[in-house]
Amino acid sequence: MSRIILEARDVRYRYPGGVHAIRGISFHVRRGEKVALVGPNGAGKSTLLLMFNGMLRPDAGTLLFDNQPLRYDAASLRELRRRVGFVFQHPDRQIIAPTVYQDVAFGPVNLGFGTDRVRQVVRDALRNVGLAGFERRPPHQLSAGEKKRVAIAGVLAMDPDLLVLDEPTSSLDPAGSEDTMELLEELHQAGKTIIISTHDVELAYPWADRAILLRQGEILQEDIPEVAFGDPDLVRRARLSVPVLLELYQELARRGLPLPEKRPKTALDMIHLIDQAFSRGARTGTCGTIHVCDVDSTGPEALSRWLSSRDGLWIGAMGTRAKQRAAEEQIAVDFTYGVIDKCLLRALGGESSLILTAGGMVQRVEVRVSAFAEEWGTPIPVEEVKGP
Amino acid sequence: MDHGYLENVAQENGLVNVSPYVKLAVGLGAILLSLVSPNWITPLFLTLTLGGAILLLARIDPGLYARLLLAPLSFAVFSVTAVILVTGGGEVFWAWQPVPGVALSVTSRSVLQGMLVFSRMLGGMSALFFIALTTPLTELFMVMRQCRFPTTLLNLAMMVYRSIFILADQVDQVMSAQRMRLGYSSPREAVQSFGMLCGAAFIASWEAGEDLLRAMDARCYAGRFAMLSESQPVEAGPLAAATAYLLVGSGLLLATLPGALSWGGV
Repeated sequence: MSRIILEARDVRYRYPGGVHAIRGISFHVRRGEKVALVGPNGAGKSTLLLMFNGMLRPDAGTLLFDNQPLRYDAASLRELRRRVGFVFQHPDRQIIAPTVYQDVAFGPVNLGFGTDRVRQVVRDALRNVGLAGFERRPPHQLSAGEKKRVAIAGVLAMDPDLLVLDEPTSSLDPAGSEDTMELLEELHQAGKTIIISTHDVELAYPWADRAILLRQGEILQEDIPEVAFGDPDLVRRARLSVPVLLELYQELARRGLPLPEKRPKTALDMIHLIDQAFSRGARTGTCGTIHVCDVDSTGPEALSRWLSSRDGLWIGAMGTRAKQRAAEEQIAVDFTYGVIDKCLLRALGGESSLILTAGGMVQRVEVRVSAFAEEWGTPIPVEEVKGP
Repeated sequence: MDHGYLENVAQENGLVNVSPYVKLAVGLGAILLSLVSPNWITPLFLTLTLGGAILLLARIDPGLYARLLLAPLSFAVFSVTAVILVTGGGEVFWAWQPVPGVALSVTSRSVLQGMLVFSRMLGGMSALFFIALTTPLTELFMVMRQCRFPTTLLNLAMMVYRSIFILADQVDQVMSAQRMRLGYSSPREAVQSFGMLCGAAFIASWEAGEDLLRAMDARCYAGRFAMLSESQPVEAGPLAAATAYLLVGSGLLLATLPGALSWGGV
């Protein structure tokens, strides 16, 4: 178990108007975890989040960051806010400056970085969120999804350990939501601890390592998502709904089908589970191959040569850099989100696929595929595309 | 999202990648030439060429430019008419004295004077539009910083710039909501609705201000504001073109000086 990064001990908060927003909450978050605070409107999610970087100070109880109780003097708050990046629900309320560059540079400049270092961190942050080349654009000309990315980049530029996002996908269209969640996945892979608040159970269920259900300022349940969202009674009390996949699983189980203990988190899991339940799992030698290409180390020529030698491949682009590359080289991409799972689904159907991705995400493909093989007993070959 | 703000037009104009210094030099140079020119030839030349640059180089929509010109033009026509009627000298073409002590006349000198004022106005306006349509404020902020504009004012200006678009959006929404419910159907309704709109705008801007403070706090605000890392570089081509243009303008001004004298220019 890794170290605890954030801990709340019986935290209470009351708004000046007298409303008890938080009524004694205790929990902890470990380094590298993905935690979703889930609850209906007015459950106290945003209030709780605002305490993590010292924007609100609890009336009672203690918050600890990195095992140190929060201190509320100016210098400590500065350090805390550098290490806890807070992304507001509405990007328009977070973006301050007249251009994208100036906004992302806002934090670093105030932390006293030199000009060159500011330029460097801004470039990296914009590259990480897939907005390279947007430096001079004024924020009011960006789409909602792009603004969200600017807001995230502005926080990333300070290189925080913990990212706190309030309703990261509200006001985004479905594709924008998927993009944002993919981005969070990338950041998680890069070692960030992430806490989000949401009332979208479908979003939190497959994403989170742990879900904390809130209701009227109290924790109703805290567990892995399969359990936290699995109790219809609790879910109803929290004014949420059971994720569709979980409900399907429960209904199938009620009909007496022999189902594995492990609940499905994705469409892929569900299909596999149905295949097995109806004894169609005995498939030998018919699985397709998943090819993985690291776009950072594969040149355009090698990639197009490789592609031209193969037909009927499903192509997925995972991560912002891969999507940019695919757009630049006019590669027709079939999947842009949930890429590994969709390719696994195709592989189960005997079809091969190519995943374009970059950096540490290459390993993620291998890890996910081997985890899948272990869970469901179906090994699927993964091959790396190599070329200068 | 696009409200047809001039700023948005400027952000996407064809000269956006030219250094703001070059564009400012052309604009300010043209204003200066228009002002010092003793006859109407140079300002007219500047009007036509800057208009051409706005339409062809910056690729601004001609319809938009025409509409922009129309507002100050109507004003110009009125004031120039007044100038022509009130000033005198030279050959008298027409005169009228409606009441004792007030004389209106059209004379050769007053016509020349009127033409000069009119063409100066056109020249100056074209130069201002050239700057406004080709140089977005985001670039001007940087120029201001480099020209040692007071930091506090500049930071304020940048925050105001950012907030304008958010507030305008909100005002827009409130106004549509009012219109949809017939908020402006009678003068009485309109006054009431407008009052509510102002109230809503005030509350919205108050909240926006608080949000801004929070957002700045959350990112360690310590009194500093980042600037764009570098302005568009001054490139040889545009610089040469701008210099040549201003030289031609000055040359024209000098060349028409004696002519202007013989035409009785002021």
